[in-house]
Amino acid sequence: MAKKTFKGRPLLGGNLEGKALASTQPLNTTGSYLDNLFGGNSTSAPCTDPNNKEFYKKDLSGAILCFTTTVGSSLGGAALMGVGSLGVGPKAMLFSQHVDSVSLAGLLMDDIWNGRRVITIDLLGDEFLESVKTGDPIAIQADGTVEVG
Amino acid sequence: MDRRTFVKLIPMTAMAPGALIAQGGTAEAAAPPPSPAGSGAPEGGAVPDYAGKITYSDMSVTDADGNTQPGFKHSSSKAQQADPKAPYQMPLTKEEQDIMDGKKGEALAKVMKIVVAHGNAFGAPKLVELGGAPHCSLYTGTDYMKPMIDLFQECADAGLKTYAPYTVNPRCYDMYNVNNNATDMELIYQGYRYQRDLDWVHAQLGAPDLNYRSCACYVPEVGNAPPPGTYVAWAESSAINYGNSALGLRTNRNAGGMELLCGLLGKAPLFGLMTDEGRMANWLVEVKTSKEPDLGVLGTAIGLKVIDGVPFITGMEKYLGTEVSNDNMHLLKKMGSATAASGAVGLYHVENLTPDAKQKGRKLLQKGYQTYVYDDAEQARVLSTFPVEWDGRPEDPTVCLIGCPHNTFKEIHDWGTKVTETLEKRGLKTGAIPTKMFCSNVVRDHLVEKHPALVGKMTEAGMRFTNMCTVSYAGMKDFSERTYAVTNSPKTRNYYPACRYLKDDALIEVICTGKIPKGA
Repeated sequence: MAKKTFKGRPLLGGNLEGKALASTQPLNTTGSYLDNLFGGNSTSAPCTDPNNKEFYKKDLSGAILCFTTTVGSSLGGAALMGVGSLGVGPKAMLFSQHVDSVSLAGLLMDDIWNGRRVITIDLLGDEFLESVKTGDPIAIQADGTVEVG
Repeated sequence: MDRRTFVKLIPMTAMAPGALIAQGGTAEAAAPPPSPAGSGAPEGGAVPDYAGKITYSDMSVTDADGNTQPGFKHSSSKAQQADPKAPYQMPLTKEEQDIMDGKKGEALAKVMKIVVAHGNAFGAPKLVELGGAPHCSLYTGTDYMKPMIDLFQECADAGLKTYAPYTVNPRCYDMYNVNNNATDMELIYQGYRYQRDLDWVHAQLGAPDLNYRSCACYVPEVGNAPPPGTYVAWAESSAINYGNSALGLRTNRNAGGMELLCGLLGKAPLFGLMTDEGRMANWLVEVKTSKEPDLGVLGTAIGLKVIDGVPFITGMEKYLGTEVSNDNMHLLKKMGSATAASGAVGLYHVENLTPDAKQKGRKLLQKGYQTYVYDDAEQARVLSTFPVEWDGRPEDPTVCLIGCPHNTFKEIHDWGTKVTETLEKRGLKTGAIPTKMFCSNVVRDHLVEKHPALVGKMTEAGMRFTNMCTVSYAGMKDFSERTYAVTNSPKTRNYYPACRYLKDDALIEVICTGKIPKGA
């Protein structure tokens, strides 16, 4: 497939290559990790949110997640810290829209306090999410450039 | 018991506020509530027990058309530079930079870095000094909260404290008045393993007294009610909603944890609902009912319609008056909390009543605002979406839940009076079902002090006070299979539709007879 390049805002920058796990629906930070947050699963992170059909039951552990924005409880930040501490958090979160304050709070806390970074880029745009599909090769650069394909 | 089996036993309400499980209200229920669009039957079969209403919370809402929408979008935040994607660093004062550079210790430096980075993302032009006191929504000591609890224990170890003593959400359980049974106790003792650690963190940072635990932190007895215009950093959707709207405070809808970090710093980034621009109304809500609207239905309707917008509500003067006082604060609390539960409303204005509206009137309506008319037909339509039947629930009510958000003094007094007088008139010694009155201990103590005889009668009537969170109770595993709760709270109903919302008169009838009156 032809490569496409998008530029977002690097909130927590970094370089990473891998495969995309994409959804056109919001990511529910609390609803997606119930098996980990309540079951203590520290080997995989099967998505437990049935409302996100593209993510549901897929393994979110170590994923490069591509989605619109995050939703869920105002304790969603704590949830992201929780899965990070279990070692099953995502490696990157790529938002097509503006980041929401709840997930950003947790991501910043885990990065600055615990030294655990999840590469976070927002404002990648609708075309990014229309282009990227699960399984696509993806390359992220520290300046917020994301190459798909 | 292995861990996987345990998953199905622990209270899923631990994700509260705003993200709780309706154990009986999943897609498998025979009489489901309106489901959000896109739910349907998931791939692979049945929805797991615990994947219930946790998706529908104050940060994700179902709009009036049944579509899942993101919640609070910070639409009022604007980039400070021409290219919104360009790196942005808000200017800091010398004092703030010194803190950032570690001159007041490593822990506070990290706190500053987090808060500033957060503000940068939302284009905050600066940090502002906070007044009043913080209100914190970290109240559940579950496993997943451990990293958060550890972070704040490190802050306590470094000697940090909040800029003022602060208030915290209600207790997530009450072993004396509500959960004093073997089933609940097993769930609670196994599910809230770090509750002691969390309580200790709060005691060290500035909130040691559990008697003040309440989501209604602004009632006189609890006392967290700063004057209009005060910048604060609060969390808990109903407290923020009331604080911004009825008190005229200026706070964003903070994530759990961020409010406490701002509290330790004594500063918060200025953006969103803290700004004049962010407090402009993008919806005009015209209340045109032929008589007093049902405030629970009105609040629910507004939240569904505006989602995370700022509504300017008219037509309520004859029902609510022109001054916020101890006589009407509970009405605003009821309506407002519903807007924050069915939607993600962090601020509303009521014409001629709330501080911002009294000061600026309809100048608060921004250009291009939308209009929503709430009349008798619309009230009936929204009320018809509240489920009446619920599969798997006991046939008749088994408990009455009064007070979500927590009751005011006036509410516990009036409810106590109405119920006990009705029982006496009918020659009944006690209620047919128990009633739980949710309020802080200091509000209860106020009633004991002023009306001891009434409290005695309430006890005989089966009315028991508790300082726990109603939503935490209603969200316990298998709650709707063991319990048929009736409630006056539209917020509780929104999160747990198995709890039947009724008007006050109908609830008194249920308390007396154990049966829901016809036509309720």
